[in-house]
Amino acid sequence: MHWIALRWLLDDAGTPEGPVLPTPEAIGWWALRYTPHVAWQDEALMLEVSACERLWGGRLQLMRLLLADNPAPDARMLGTQGATSLIALARLRLFAREEKRPQDVPAGLPLDTLSAARAHLDLLARLGCRTWGDVASLPRGGLTRRFGAELRDALDAAWGLRPESHAWLTLPDVFEQKLELPALAETAPELMWSANRLLASLQLWLRARQRGARALELQWTLDLKRFNGVNLPPHQQVTVRTAEPTQDMAHLRRLISEKLALTTLSAPASWLRLRTLETDPWAGASTSFLPEDNRKGDRLHEMVERLSVRLGPSQVLVPSAQADHRPERKQAWRPALHKDKAPPDKARRQAQAAASQPDAIYPPWLLPEPLRLEMDGERPCYRGTLSRLVGPQRVEAGWWGDKEEGGQPAMRDYYVAESPEAGLVWIFRERPAARFSSGEVRWYLQGFYA
Amino acid sequence: MEYCIKIQLTVFAMGLPFLDSFFAAAGRGVWHADELGLADAQVVATGHAALDAELPGGGWPVGAMTELLQAAPEAHVWRLLLPALAQAVQARGGPVVLVGPPFEPCGPSLAAQGLPVEALMWVRSEAPAARLWACEQALRCADVAAVVAWLPQARVAELRRLQLAAAQHELLLFVCRPDSVALSASPARLRLRTDRCEADASQIALHILKRRGPPLASPVMLPARNERMAALLAAARVRRKLRLQQQGTVVEAGETATSAKVVRIDAWKGGPGALDRLAVAT
Repeated sequence: MHWIALRWLLDDAGTPEGPVLPTPEAIGWWALRYTPHVAWQDEALMLEVSACERLWGGRLQLMRLLLADNPAPDARMLGTQGATSLIALARLRLFAREEKRPQDVPAGLPLDTLSAARAHLDLLARLGCRTWGDVASLPRGGLTRRFGAELRDALDAAWGLRPESHAWLTLPDVFEQKLELPALAETAPELMWSANRLLASLQLWLRARQRGARALELQWTLDLKRFNGVNLPPHQQVTVRTAEPTQDMAHLRRLISEKLALTTLSAPASWLRLRTLETDPWAGASTSFLPEDNRKGDRLHEMVERLSVRLGPSQVLVPSAQADHRPERKQAWRPALHKDKAPPDKARRQAQAAASQPDAIYPPWLLPEPLRLEMDGERPCYRGTLSRLVGPQRVEAGWWGDKEEGGQPAMRDYYVAESPEAGLVWIFRERPAARFSSGEVRWYLQGFYA
Repeated sequence: MEYCIKIQLTVFAMGLPFLDSFFAAAGRGVWHADELGLADAQVVATGHAALDAELPGGGWPVGAMTELLQAAPEAHVWRLLLPALAQAVQARGGPVVLVGPPFEPCGPSLAAQGLPVEALMWVRSEAPAARLWACEQALRCADVAAVVAWLPQARVAELRRLQLAAAQHELLLFVCRPDSVALSASPARLRLRTDRCEADASQIALHILKRRGPPLASPVMLPARNERMAALLAAARVRRKLRLQQQGTVVEAGETATSAKVVRIDAWKGGPGALDRLAVAT
């Protein structure tokens, strides 16, 4: 058996704005990458590496790897080794106090580095015991009767005479962590600082599980049950989704902060909880040596998600071609966020065929709503009297529709007309069916050629 | 002091042959303000030969801001930019992001001119700050092919930020602004003002306000309509004239026969272009 004990020391611990360690579980998840036997013992993280040290190239190499891959870059990381966990822990405590290690380990280790002996230090010192060896040489029976079985068992474990038992850390199937906020948060952006800590833990979990996050839920506990005479729910939450599974916390952090900026807390929040809703197996990124493949910048879905979160999903739109003859329905604008991953081949080919028709007569700009034109006698006017140049093009469609489809059949004669001020415009004359006819001819403007 | 050194160098150069070649080499890297500059980065051809000839490097600069100043925000944008946008989409495969266009872009029409419908992304936001932010985000995205933004209220510092983002990520960036800002300063490398030609409505007069090169005395004239539309209009004119002749009325003096020239387009035969046929047949 061979043990490594690790501990993180913050230089300016205790200051509220100073750097903070990831949660203990998260650090344990990080260590699970190196060995399956990881446990917290008192203040130190213990790694049992006898089975895996060859995989990492030896003990020295493994120590170097661990120290280089510090999960908390702000903190100083101490590491020591020992034949048993207690020896490694005692050496770590000596190292943290910057004392020299004794010649003979474990017998020469000072007694206050043994957790089990800490309660009895005074008495043992008066007995003349200063090192582990001093206590171990006392008669077993008397020692057990006087100090309880615990001290003797610890010494046996330290010498490797008894098997050690530990509560090994395991990776949960779903990431879920709770954190108490350092102070009550009044506004949603104040949650971001603690959410960052949770996100750092999430990253460690995702890496250990080899998964990428697709959907997260950030939930906060409200500190009040009633506020302004309104009963409040115990929790509030925001959900963040991304199109591609990711281990990149910068993108998730931006999405969460944009969501939080739009959220109002109905009462001060005290606890924060982060949970993964959907995760996908992480495939890793394929890289290329070609310069044109390695263009710097964000990916498209990241940009779309960021824009949609801040501006609203209905503000970022992509078109899709539709099979319809009414120009306003020839394309449908959908939120880019809900873009189907890959439309079925056949539908896409049909859409492409529909889109590639030589529709030169359509104007590049469409008005969202056809504009009713004023009349100058028989001729319609838009910034001057219009003169019809090309047409008519007759459209009769939509008779099958109900209210959502436009209400009534579209029977229109389209013309390309020229306005003295606005250039070429696209207008139509509504040709009402005989039974709806009121005798009035109505002209509309629907597009600009520009 | 510097002048002295330069003069001395020139004097030396007269006599020393190796310095002559040095001066010749140095001269190549110097841009003289009276000749058209070379593009120091990639360019995309505009699709209009007359315009290409007047632009440094022969096209729209990639990785720099191009400003279009127009009286109406919708005027001539597609006519000027569409060929370049179609090329950029084909080369880079990403969408063209339209930030705050004045109207709805009509996909079928753009697709007929080479820009596929799927390659459009419409960011519609009214707030100037949101438009600027969206524009910058789009520029920072690696998959976007080009950005066309309508920023009527942008200030110089904000435009400069966009210009830097475009330069960093090597994207085509077109900013459309009202022509009232033509006299104010701008960080754009290329500034164009479009005008309707008073004499001929089928031409765009393009004033190049700023470029790396000498100021342009006369505007560049470009056809305001694409070939198919021009053909359609010409056919309609011929037909109207024929009808008038059949009715025995005198042809008006304004509609001269020379201006009506029918352009044959092969697409009539292939595609289901019922509209074009209609214009000629009846």
